[in-house]
Amino acid sequence: MSLVFEPVRARSLPTSIWPLAALAGLALTGPFLAPLDPNAQDLMRVMEAPSITHLLGTDHVGRDILSRVFAGAPHSLGLAVLCVTLASSVGVALGLIAANGGAFVRALIMRLADLMLAFPGLLLALLFAGFLGGGIWPLLIGLNLALWPQYARMAEAVATSVLREGHVEAARLAGFAERTILKRHVLPPVLRAVMPLATLGVGQAIMSISALGFLGLGLKPPTPEWGAMINELLPFLAEGFVQMAAPCAMIFVSVLTLTLAGRALAADPTGGGHD
Amino acid sequence: MNGVLRVIMLRIGQALATAAVLASLCFVFVHALPGDLALRVAAARVGDERVTPETAERIRREEGLDRPLIVQYGQWMGNVAQGDLGRSLLSGKPVTQELAYHASFTLQLGLIGWLLSYLIALPLGIMAGFRPGGIVDRMTNALAVTLASLPTFLVGIGLITLFALTLRWLPPAGFRTGAHMVLPAFTLALSLVAFSIPVIRNAVVEVRSAFFMTYARVKGLTPAAAFRHHGVRNAAIPVVTYAALQFAFVIDGFVVIETLFNYPGLGELLVKALIARDVPVIMGAGLVIGFAFAVVSLLADLMRLWFDPRGLEEARA
Repeated sequence: MSLVFEPVRARSLPTSIWPLAALAGLALTGPFLAPLDPNAQDLMRVMEAPSITHLLGTDHVGRDILSRVFAGAPHSLGLAVLCVTLASSVGVALGLIAANGGAFVRALIMRLADLMLAFPGLLLALLFAGFLGGGIWPLLIGLNLALWPQYARMAEAVATSVLREGHVEAARLAGFAERTILKRHVLPPVLRAVMPLATLGVGQAIMSISALGFLGLGLKPPTPEWGAMINELLPFLAEGFVQMAAPCAMIFVSVLTLTLAGRALAADPTGGGHD
Repeated sequence: MNGVLRVIMLRIGQALATAAVLASLCFVFVHALPGDLALRVAAARVGDERVTPETAERIRREEGLDRPLIVQYGQWMGNVAQGDLGRSLLSGKPVTQELAYHASFTLQLGLIGWLLSYLIALPLGIMAGFRPGGIVDRMTNALAVTLASLPTFLVGIGLITLFALTLRWLPPAGFRTGAHMVLPAFTLALSLVAFSIPVIRNAVVEVRSAFFMTYARVKGLTPAAAFRHHGVRNAAIPVVTYAALQFAFVIDGFVVIETLFNYPGLGELLVKALIARDVPVIMGAGLVIGFAFAVVSLLADLMRLWFDPRGLEEARA
């Protein structure tokens, strides 16, 4: 927002963007990278150690672990991104409405956010996913109910403080429409504040989705979601360490990447650019 | 004490609102499930094969399932308000009895895990905070980031693989002896540590660079005495506040850990009930978790006010 042109700072984003790009690529192309059919069973070759045909071994019904890990990427990663995109959009929209609206609208939205935050952690997602069971929609709705309030709060706080600033007042006096002011002056700082939160949020969503899958309440087997894979492989932990390690490592690496990227963004929200 | 009262009222309000939403949600779920509700209740009571249209009809009349939805809703909420949660569809026992049994296990696990986490996090966080950028700081930071990127069930699976399957020191699952407690409690502690180390570290760093600490040193206190008399209380404020947030996070942890280790706590009860669609138990477990969250938040509020009475002025305003 500074009028002075600032030189490009901080190389944190360029270094953290490549692992993120790799994750995005995996989420989009995972199923096509799978060397074998992820759901093809071979009961003659169950819990086989890694070999040339099965690089990461096979599971308890002889499915290729490597293929299942690839095929699971859209479920575990893609769904998490979808979830946070939806939750942050809804949250930012409601936060902006609250900041712009009258006292009643603001109180209504913010109290609703408080109410949702009074449900600890995964409880709402557990209830929705558990009850309506099995599909993508209950999972998406449940997680979104739990996630949108933090974005709404952040957006409301930032928007309220920006709306009080001098340059917004000046824009109003200059006769710009509310919509223009919102787009040009309010939305950019709000999005800058929300971005690190959303990046960390994708990591948390991956953990939540895989936790629900692990509990048997998320996406159901034989869907190759990583958490559901771990749930299926757990009884065979003693025989197949490599098989179990594969989806575990994918979850860990994905979340770690997003956590580090989120932290880099939070430390330097401009992402090395200027405005 | 006006401020304290206000805080208490707020948290009570939170608990009641949570309960109302949960109970309503469960009501909607029950009626939104596909199929005839009376038939389902009948099946749960007398067994799938022996259900006749007559039994279903009788249950429909007895349970008031033929009345308008709004009347049923009023009755449902009335029962919940009176603490009548009904009976488990699975075991047939009163829900309150089931809850009490399982809650004691969760409480045990929670207390031990929580204590263990602070035994690990306090020394590490304080050491890191005393030398920001030092070797301990960098190592604990790496540890915290790693643990924060591991879902609880991965930590648990890792511990099982190492201590139960490879070294064979501890049993992998169950709840009969004290040894069964070690791995679940450690799993819980490690997932808590991931978030309490940075909080403690930052609190210590902030307090140590505060002006009143410089003043304490200038007036002649040793670094240790200055930290003991002026540092600890101030550093405790954010740490205590964080305890409540941490509890919210731990709910997921409990559910996952108890399921993984086959430990008969509330989380395990909730997951089993969800899989079996045992609505009375689901609602009961949800209510207990919601209330527990409100109580812990209240405790954190009160502790914070005790450490930092300045908050009372704001609460009054």
